Amino acid sequence: MREFLLTGMQWFIIACILVCIIRILTSRTTSGKLVGLNVLSGAVLAFLVLRGVSEGRALYLDVALVYDIFGFLGFLGIARFLKDKIQGESQE
Amino acid sequence: MTVILLLFILGLGIYTLFTKDLLHSVIALSAISLLSAMLFYILHAPDVAITEAAVGAGVSTIIFVWIIRHTDRKESDS
Repeated sequence: MREFLLTGMQWFIIACILVCIIRILTSRTTSGKLVGLNVLSGAVLAFLVLRGVSEGRALYLDVALVYDIFGFLGFLGIARFLKDKIQGESQE
Repeated sequence: MTVILLLFILGLGIYTLFTKDLLHSVIALSAISLLSAMLFYILHAPDVAITEAAVGAGVSTIIFVWIIRHTDRKESDS
């Protein structure tokens, strides 16, 4: 029963990842793509933790921790780029 | 599950190659590195996945955005 639930949740998260990728590919604005990437990161994080629980090893959870820190830095970089662009347009 | 992830990576890679807006390419590239970290994780290589998540999703995205800020955002046709 436990294995069945863990596997089913993994497939459900794969379906969520597909929806996020469709959002990234079809959104016209950059902020829409950024939000899609953010939600994708959350879905992948949930997948990594689920897989780590089903494998039962502590090393597998470190991947989720490291990705959570460094992925956030990447989103900060893109969001800062968007902020500078909006401020530059309003000053002109 | 591996084949599905590879198909996702293939679709995002095609989009990265053919879009004209370079910031959209960087966003798709970040998603590619995220999904490939997940792929390494599924294939029982968590140390490779840690390195891919740190370098691919964090550092290379910041470097690419930093370079786009100093150059043009749109790709020219010529």
